[in-house]
Amino acid sequence: MESFISLAIALLAAPLFPGIILKVKAFFAGKQGPPLLIKYYTLFKLLKKGSVYSNSTSFVFTLGPVISFASAVIVLFFFPFAGNAPIFSFHSDVIILFYIMGLGRFFTVIAALDTASPFEGMGAAREVFFSTIAELAIFTVLILFYRLTGSLSFSEYFIGETPISLVGVSGALIVFVVVSMFMVLLTENSRVPVDDPATHLELTMIHEVMILDHSGPDLAMIELGAFYKLYFYAAFVTHLIFPFVPANGPVMNTVIFLAIMAAVYATIGIVESIMARFKMNLVPKFIFTSFALVFFAAILTIGVIQ
Amino acid sequence: MINYTEITIVFILLSVLLSLSSSRLMTLVKLMALQGGAVSLVPLLLEGTQHLPMGELLFFQVMILIKCIIIPGLLVLAVKRVRIKREIEPFIGYHASIVAGLVILLVSVFVTGYLKLSLPEGHNFVLVSAITTMAAGFFLMMARRKAITQVIGYLMLENGIYLIGTALTNPSHTLYVVEFGVLLDLLVGVMIMGIILHNINSAFDDADTTLLGRLKD
Amino acid sequence: MDIFLLSLLIITIGGIFPLLSYRQFSLMKSGYIAITVAGCVIGLSAITAPLASSQIEHFSQSWLHFLSFNLTLDSLSAFFLVPIFAVCPLAALYSFKYFHKPEESLRTATNYLFFNLLIVTMALVATADNIFSFAIVWELMSLTSFFLVMYEYQKQETRKAGYIYFVFAQTGALCIFAAFALAYSQTGSLDFAAFASMPANMKYIVFLLALAGFGSKAGIFPLHIWLPHAHPAAPSNISAIMSGVMIKMGIYGIIRMFFVLGVDSVIFGQTVLTFGMISGILGIVYALGKQDLKKLLAYSSVENIGVILIGAGVGMMGIAHGNKVMAGFGFAGCLLHVLNHSIFKSLLFLGAGVVLHETGTKQIDQFGGLMKRMPTTGKTFLTGALSISGLPPFNGFISEFLIYYGAFQGLTLNATSAIFSSLAILSLALIGGLAVSCFTKVIGIVFLGEPRSEKATAAKEAGFAMTLPMIIMAATCLAIGLFPAPVVKMVMTALQSSSIPVPETSLVTEITGYLGFATRLFFIFIIVSLLLRKIFYRKKVVDSSTTWGCGFTKGTVRIQYTGTSYSGNVVEFFKPFLMLHTTYSGIKRIFPGKTTYETKVDDIAETTLLEYIISPFLYLLSKFRWIQHGHIQLYIAYIIITIIVLLMFI
Repeated sequence: MESFISLAIALLAAPLFPGIILKVKAFFAGKQGPPLLIKYYTLFKLLKKGSVYSNSTSFVFTLGPVISFASAVIVLFFFPFAGNAPIFSFHSDVIILFYIMGLGRFFTVIAALDTASPFEGMGAAREVFFSTIAELAIFTVLILFYRLTGSLSFSEYFIGETPISLVGVSGALIVFVVVSMFMVLLTENSRVPVDDPATHLELTMIHEVMILDHSGPDLAMIELGAFYKLYFYAAFVTHLIFPFVPANGPVMNTVIFLAIMAAVYATIGIVESIMARFKMNLVPKFIFTSFALVFFAAILTIGVIQ
Repeated sequence: MINYTEITIVFILLSVLLSLSSSRLMTLVKLMALQGGAVSLVPLLLEGTQHLPMGELLFFQVMILIKCIIIPGLLVLAVKRVRIKREIEPFIGYHASIVAGLVILLVSVFVTGYLKLSLPEGHNFVLVSAITTMAAGFFLMMARRKAITQVIGYLMLENGIYLIGTALTNPSHTLYVVEFGVLLDLLVGVMIMGIILHNINSAFDDADTTLLGRLKD
Repeated sequence: MDIFLLSLLIITIGGIFPLLSYRQFSLMKSGYIAITVAGCVIGLSAITAPLASSQIEHFSQSWLHFLSFNLTLDSLSAFFLVPIFAVCPLAALYSFKYFHKPEESLRTATNYLFFNLLIVTMALVATADNIFSFAIVWELMSLTSFFLVMYEYQKQETRKAGYIYFVFAQTGALCIFAAFALAYSQTGSLDFAAFASMPANMKYIVFLLALAGFGSKAGIFPLHIWLPHAHPAAPSNISAIMSGVMIKMGIYGIIRMFFVLGVDSVIFGQTVLTFGMISGILGIVYALGKQDLKKLLAYSSVENIGVILIGAGVGMMGIAHGNKVMAGFGFAGCLLHVLNHSIFKSLLFLGAGVVLHETGTKQIDQFGGLMKRMPTTGKTFLTGALSISGLPPFNGFISEFLIYYGAFQGLTLNATSAIFSSLAILSLALIGGLAVSCFTKVIGIVFLGEPRSEKATAAKEAGFAMTLPMIIMAATCLAIGLFPAPVVKMVMTALQSSSIPVPETSLVTEITGYLGFATRLFFIFIIVSLLLRKIFYRKKVVDSSTTWGCGFTKGTVRIQYTGTSYSGNVVEFFKPFLMLHTTYSGIKRIFPGKTTYETKVDDIAETTLLEYIISPFLYLLSKFRWIQHGHIQLYIAYIIITIIVLLMFI
């Protein structure tokens, strides 16, 4: 029962949290900022509209939003939000899920290339390049976790016998993972300093430029998928920070979970407020550092800290 | 239970990794200060529980003072005086340097395992970090152009040697006396470097070591 | 065994038939295809028994008293026979429309003959059981495929490619024979079974020699140089078979060698794994750098051979450590990827063949917008691209997943093996990411967007005879992806009867069950999302317009992103490992004239080979030019002197 509730929370609340980022940014800029529910309004607005398709596009263009949405949603069914057992879970589900996300990316990219627009091509090229390095960092995290727990599934990582967290065993190494996963979060969800989600123009170099030609419900699906993806990564980081043991009780766990989630989103907002976007040639170095950090921790678990 | 030695060594390794990826000289100097401090703390932490005589304690304090404050301080002066902010166009790029750092770490884990030394607990990790630090010091000297970076590479090398000594020997007073002598030499070396660097800078308008190639006949 | 030999006989007859009937072009083609397909189907039925059980069949024919021609059909051989008998008839069917010039009838007939001989020799390679028979059929396989590459022999380029292939095939054979000779000198027996009795360090040398020999056939980096030359030169159905099936014989050789040597040292696995990682990563990076569609696919074969070897290496390490799960899953992933790659790589080559056939160009930057002009080819090619990128719910993912699973088991071993396992995992992840960027490039630039040249604009869908094989292959890719359990079970049975330790059936069933469940679940999610989209679009205004040009009003098709620029970032990132040449004329005056910019990616292995091995060698040999002077009398003198010298030694 708790599993379904926490999944429902995830599905419904995912668009809420990006509002927090906007509020934080507005605070730093000394503005009132948009309402907290702004993303819901945007989604409803988009769903009510029709669409305009480019003459250059084929069926791939319409398939792009659908598959990227499906790949973002399915991950939520496997993740133990707030320490509640996920709906589906089995050994080695992480590999499958990260590959499914890869499929989502594949379709976003080819949908962008389908429009014959040079800007979208540019964004697509960057997206595949950066996410390749980010994938490297993610798999290193999996290696590290396998060394620590001997398992390959989200639920075993976070609600297994020895849940991974900062206060658990080898907490010193988890610091690296937290930092690195946060960097991956920024990369994969196209946030500052890798990408700038605020400008819906060609100046936004990666993700937003790839979806320039989508409109109406298609765009809504992409946006919603992006919110779910961000929610998943934020939940990942949250679980690393705090162990959600059943002893706390489900209600308490959920409250703590949502609070830490809000804090993670707020941190994203703070990062966006105090940092500028990197020059494009510095971005690979940024992502590569996230990989180097976890790989470093992974080597230590193999070599020294058993 | 928190193992302070492990945390210190993780910091040393992290400073090695970051120093390979940073292009700003000031950051590099700060990292060296951190590393110097951490390195001179390691022997203290390893013997932690034993009572140390006052003389030895003083020794370590002076060591920390030199490694963590005086040498970095001199370097800061040198950096300020020659007015270079960052290393531009290194011989080996920053991505490659990070990869090289990881490879060095891998190899030193491998080498330490291969040696199969019967060391007391915790010393294996010190040895790993020692080999890494030393090799990374060499790498830094090889991969960078500026004279200051090379001196920093040399300092890193020295830190590595110091750690090897700590890892391989039973902690004893006499060892550190030798180390101390080396450290004083190093201090003088850094001072001289500061002066020479200043002169090179005023002669060539740059502190790029490749320019020294022109001095050959 | 008799049925198996019968099928080979029928295939041979199918190869001879066109030579007799080449005056009737269509009759020749249809007769040939009918006989070949029949032969392959019989072959498939012959191998079902060994595949399903541990039944082993022998055949022996002695020759000249001491040499005997031995064939053994065990489950490992049977597994490698599956792609041969399943993919080849599809390629033959495809050739019906591909060879469309009646005036080249005789040449086509010859091509058919060699094609069928290639099938037969490949099947024999997979079953040969002693040094003698293996050496013969291996050489025959190399020779027949050489003639297949030389189909368009009047082109200078093809001849060059053919010779490069010939040199590599023969050098590889040289290494294999050296390995066999060494083994024979140690054991004094021609049987593979005797190899296990060699001393341990000898085994390693034999294995290394065999690895070099088989590796040059399989296309391991840096012995892959012939692939990007031979594949573009050969007709597309031939490149499909060579890349999809024939290079797997090299893999078969490596694996068979490993088993007959019966080693227990971990260094074999580490060696194979290292070569696998290098081939995998550099193969796909070079594939990204190439602008010729078939060259790109050839390099992607190098990458997939890398993945296969990573699987084999993981499996070998598992055997050395006595870790059943690691050994079983590593080898299972390796073998399954052999099968999968033969399906999707052939599919991609056939698709590339259709594109070439219809547009007459190979340059990626000349295509565009083909998805609308040739929808069936486009969709099947997209399926192939998804499979080869190892994405769920297609078959490429299943095999990569098995390798991942095996490699993760290796993390709990001692430090060295754990490091190797983690490097294997990371290379797989990197290869996966790069493969996505490589094949989004192919799909995006070739099939999507707007056509970049007139040829691409005029392209039309090919006939049903060409698309049917591709549809079958694409459907198989999806089917294996959605229902992996039977195939994985088949692989595990094949492994088990080759006396490889495999994990308990319950574990395998559990994992593959989950795997199939997850891919099917995802498939359902996609369907549901599609329905959702349908609902959202009910009673909505859907309009069409031009692509938004970001305020730039006079956009032409030439402003589209090109393949070169698309892969520019990644290629730049891997600059130390490839030779990137840029020529840029620069902008000189205030009103600049015509400027040119050109980048080219050269293969580092090829350049090194040319610069450091071939050139010095040629220089050395040029010093002996005086021996060849054209005086026939002196040549006769050479012969006499040689004979006398030889007689003195005997």
